[in-house]
Amino acid sequence: MPLTIEVKKAGLETSVQDFPGRYGYWEQGFPPSGPFDMWSFRLANLLVGNAPEAAGLECQFMGPTLVFSAPCVIALTGAEMNATLDGEPLAMWESVAVEPGQILATGFATKGARAYLAVSGGINVPPVLGSRATFHMAGVGGLEGYALKNGQSLAVGDGEGIAGRHVLEDCRPSIADGGTWQIEVVQGPNDDWIAPEGIERFYASEWKLQARSNRTGYRLEGPEWIFAEKASAKGPEHGEHPSNILDHGYPVGSVNLCGQTPIILVNDAPSAGGFINPFTVASAAFWKLAQSKPNDIYRFKRVSVEDAQEMRREIDHLCTEASIQ
Amino acid sequence: MKFDAPKFLPGGDRFIMVQFGDDAEIDLNFLALGLTTAIKADETKGVVDTNPSYNSLVVEYESDEISHGDLQTELERLIGGLGSVEELELDSRLAYLPVVYLDPWTRDCVADYSAKITPRDWDPAYVAELNGLEDAKQLARVHSGTEHWVVAVCSTPGLPLMRPLDPRCAITSPKYNPPRTWTTLGAIGVGGLSTSIYTTPGPGGYNLIGRTPVPLWDPRQRLPVFKDRVVLLNAADRVKFMPIGEEEFDYIEARVADGTYEFNVTAYQRFSVGAYKKWVASLNADGQF
Repeated sequence: MPLTIEVKKAGLETSVQDFPGRYGYWEQGFPPSGPFDMWSFRLANLLVGNAPEAAGLECQFMGPTLVFSAPCVIALTGAEMNATLDGEPLAMWESVAVEPGQILATGFATKGARAYLAVSGGINVPPVLGSRATFHMAGVGGLEGYALKNGQSLAVGDGEGIAGRHVLEDCRPSIADGGTWQIEVVQGPNDDWIAPEGIERFYASEWKLQARSNRTGYRLEGPEWIFAEKASAKGPEHGEHPSNILDHGYPVGSVNLCGQTPIILVNDAPSAGGFINPFTVASAAFWKLAQSKPNDIYRFKRVSVEDAQEMRREIDHLCTEASIQ
Repeated sequence: MKFDAPKFLPGGDRFIMVQFGDDAEIDLNFLALGLTTAIKADETKGVVDTNPSYNSLVVEYESDEISHGDLQTELERLIGGLGSVEELELDSRLAYLPVVYLDPWTRDCVADYSAKITPRDWDPAYVAELNGLEDAKQLARVHSGTEHWVVAVCSTPGLPLMRPLDPRCAITSPKYNPPRTWTTLGAIGVGGLSTSIYTTPGPGGYNLIGRTPVPLWDPRQRLPVFKDRVVLLNAADRVKFMPIGEEEFDYIEARVADGTYEFNVTAYQRFSVGAYKKWVASLNADGQF
């Protein structure tokens, strides 16, 4: 009998995501979507023996309660959400066999913010534009376009997982319990719109993550920005405020300056707009964004393009069978 | 102004922004779109996505397949192969889109903003006055008197950023501050140099001057025009707005709802930048619609 998962409680914005997300449609206005913490997501798939691109669930801040209709193997990674299986604590970072009728319950995230659930065979929603990733702002992908709702059910593909495997301790992201995070950024593309003392201030300051943050953008609170002369002495086509620029494409990870408020553009962000991007967060630092909570503090560290690419490779190397025992 | 040589700006470890100049000269967009086309034809190694705009192109790449430096070299080679901007020819379809100008629905949206957020005049009258036009009716004549060039499809799915190809129809206007919290679906908005069409009922900052009953994207691919695509327009397409009345709006809206609406999109044309520029040079700039 094919496996389905019944959604008893949907949790807060629990969504189907796949790796790496939706590519090839950026120039039609579609963001990549995909799992915010791709490190934890990939390890979950590896644990249950899925292909890297198999779809799983991203659980945010408060996880779902799910019932499984048939035997399968699951793995939960990422944030700690006090998960239980039929009331017994469920080990994280481990593949676990599930019997028909068993209930997986998760609660509030106590460490980190986003947990990832992989199921052997992968969540089998129809791909839209080449991906199963949910882009709920436009009702695309995932389960009928949106986050899970109570009472829905999820189809799962065929696949046999192996229970009892775990991720080696030092191959997991070290998800801190709130506090201060170091976020690596590459300077640019529009760093020349900020005065040198403004650039220095960006690196030297603490930036607080605001509550109004989600998979579209991460709003930060911090000191005033100091613009370069260029930001004011510009043609009218760029707009009035120093942070305005003629519409241009937004790299994913841009620190997008909207007036005085920096917004880090993440997985579901608009592809373009009329504000400057003086810095871009390294893709290898995205898991830290994904696992932080409102009021956490960011300190930004400058890295070169090549350093950022090396950091990405290091994480890629950890998302392999060698990390599993 | 066009730069002597394009600038290559890093956007983290996965993006390069190629900037051809620092203003809204239309040639810069032609170059960005020419490079986009060249990258696709070349199937440049490591490139996973492209995102063109007014004067730039953002290229996303896999650093495991190509280094930042090698990608820049490849892009420079492709830009060199474009030749002069006048030699560019771009695939360009022409889409006819029905519009009720000065419509009651966006008028309500502006009135709602005025009542709840901050008082403002009716957008078409305000934009007409700013641009030295007689009245809102002339604004509608001017706006519908040209083909609009799709500079980019961006921000949200299917949303076109357009500019008039006929320089006599250029209008400019500031954007809302603060922005609207909601916008009539299908609203035609103008802001800065651009015209756009609201494909989602979300927030917005452009001045609203009309409304179209037709969708610009359809993830369910229900209407015939979406058989092989999800989004109606591509960058380098052109849009001609066809003024209609409210009765026609209702008729088309019903055809969209029952899934029988046939879009008029001509798909056999190529846009010659050289021929376009010759035509622009021949125009009497004082001519008014």
